[in-house]
Amino acid sequence: MAAEKSSIKIITLIAADGSVFEVEPNIVKEMKTVQSYIDELDQNTVSIPLPNVFGNDLAMIIEYCKKHASEEETKEAKEEFDFEFVKRMKSDDKLRLLQAASYLNMESFLQFMAKAIAAEIENQSVEFVRDYFQIESDFTPEEEAELRKENEWAFK
Amino acid sequence: TISNSVDEMMIPPMTKRTRHCNEENEDKFSDLPDCVLIHILSFLNTKNAVGTCILSTRWKHLWKRIPTLTLHCSDFSTLRSFDKFVSSILSLRDDSIVLHSLDFDRNGSVESRLLKKVANYVFSHNVKLRRLGIDVKGDICHILPCISSCQTLTSLKLSVSPKGRYNYEKTLFPKSLNLPMLTYLHLGNFAFCAGGDGPIEPFSAFNRLNGLVIDNCTVKDTQILCISSETLVSLTMRNHSFDFYRIELSAPSLCTFAFIGTPYQMLCGRHLNAIKQVNIDAEMLANYTEPPMILLSWLIDLANIKSLTVSASTLQVLSLIPDFLKDKLSFLRSLKSLKVKLKPLAYGLSMTLKTDKLEKALKAGSELSSPIPDGIVDFLLQNSPSTDVDIADCSRFDDSFDQLPPISSSLFPQFLQPSSQEHVMDDLHQRIQQLKKVVLLTKQYLHLAKEEITRERDELLALKGHMMRLSKTLDALEQQMHMAMNLWQ
Repeated sequence: MAAEKSSIKIITLIAADGSVFEVEPNIVKEMKTVQSYIDELDQNTVSIPLPNVFGNDLAMIIEYCKKHASEEETKEAKEEFDFEFVKRMKSDDKLRLLQAASYLNMESFLQFMAKAIAAEIENQSVEFVRDYFQIESDFTPEEEAELRKENEWAFK
Repeated sequence: TISNSVDEMMIPPMTKRTRHCNEENEDKFSDLPDCVLIHILSFLNTKNAVGTCILSTRWKHLWKRIPTLTLHCSDFSTLRSFDKFVSSILSLRDDSIVLHSLDFDRNGSVESRLLKKVANYVFSHNVKLRRLGIDVKGDICHILPCISSCQTLTSLKLSVSPKGRYNYEKTLFPKSLNLPMLTYLHLGNFAFCAGGDGPIEPFSAFNRLNGLVIDNCTVKDTQILCISSETLVSLTMRNHSFDFYRIELSAPSLCTFAFIGTPYQMLCGRHLNAIKQVNIDAEMLANYTEPPMILLSWLIDLANIKSLTVSASTLQVLSLIPDFLKDKLSFLRSLKSLKVKLKPLAYGLSMTLKTDKLEKALKAGSELSSPIPDGIVDFLLQNSPSTDVDIADCSRFDDSFDQLPPISSSLFPQFLQPSSQEHVMDDLHQRIQQLKKVVLLTKQYLHLAKEEITRERDELLALKGHMMRLSKTLDALEQQMHMAMNLWQ
């Protein structure tokens, strides 16, 4: 594997607000954006600025990665962790973490967040979902009514 | 809004998190790429996903590009509107987008035209299809070719009952199914039919099978169902029928066995020792003799169980074996963990227990109504006293048993469950006898209860309700028998 070739022992991640996180290489394997950067390097330490991710969010992502990279944790323990992890988050947190996951190109974490967000908007009203994603509707009431009529098979 | 992205990063997180505090927040999630939004939509049921088309212009056509279709009639007010929805989706979805998953679940007899339409859609989008679920009442011949064509399928959930008002027959499980990538198979309402030569081994062709669920299935023209698989790790069964047959396991990697319902099938085979984890949620409607004995035989034959999870009702079923706590048994020697899940008992079982206990109580004066029968935990642990015991209240949320949807409840569904026995009239007759037995039992309980608990008026009221439900069920069943008689003669 590419990651094995690299001699890096410690990776320093610098969040948008300047907070600094030192992590081991196995923690960032899931972060493809970071991984592809360090694969190119031949040195012991590296600092990577992540201007699109805030410290609080990065701390949570690292916590998640640590838990899931651990070989000692059982599958059940990881599931329990996931359950609690989502439970303590507000919807804004989830969306910011989804953004971060997309930026860091983290496949399974992105999937995890997308699923958690889907669970929140499932069977909710249009207004709720607009508010959730903070979407400003650019339809006139007439256009919206037209669209509803056109797709009325989906609203029964 | 592109230029302010750098400024935004400078805003401390606490300020950023507060909603509506400045205008920049309005579009703060609008830079999520389409593919991420589609990812979210792919976890929604398709009705919800299509509903997002009126959020804004950006969302108008997003739903057409979702690689998963979750089509469940339970999301719709009528079957007619559901059928219209399915037709529309299949016509309007972007044809160039690959399909990863399709789950079609519809109650009631489905029109062949719609079933064929779904099958054709699967057939023409089968290149990367990984998950397929079809739960319908219809003719399997319409969908069989499309399933066989999905060579990339890793997960298949198939439940097909024949059309008709009552499900007296099951669908014969096709012998020709060859899905080389399949790792998970869930079958509902099938009958496994004996071939010309030897016992049936319906699963030996799936070379990568990892998880198998057999829900409400049976055998035809044979007494043995062979489950042969080198790779199978987990087996889940649900049974509410009175079909007695043997399950011969030839699965050296099988590690987990889960069961829900009334135990009527014996387990045998060379590799029973491989099973380390067992989850059982057993129940009975009346005091039958066989299921408790079969349940006990499982615990004896599965000699290497390390982790056993049982519902309280499972222990109650075991406790109906007369005098069994006195026996010294050589079982559960490797047990490390015992979990008991407390859930409210099913109605029939709780009545059976009340009658049973009241009889004993009148004789011996012992205590009534503990969720776990006295002494049973010690009995299970007689050969492994250092086992971890965990008793958890699971009326709220349950992981291992909840993977099967509940059987819809009206009257006593177990009695009205589809039967697979060859002789429908015999079977119905048998059920009526059994139900009459329950009625007798309840009458007996009423009699005993009058003596014992005349002060407990609530109990009496509940009993009367029970009697009413029983007689309604009996009426329904007799009517069903009457109709069946007209149908068959």
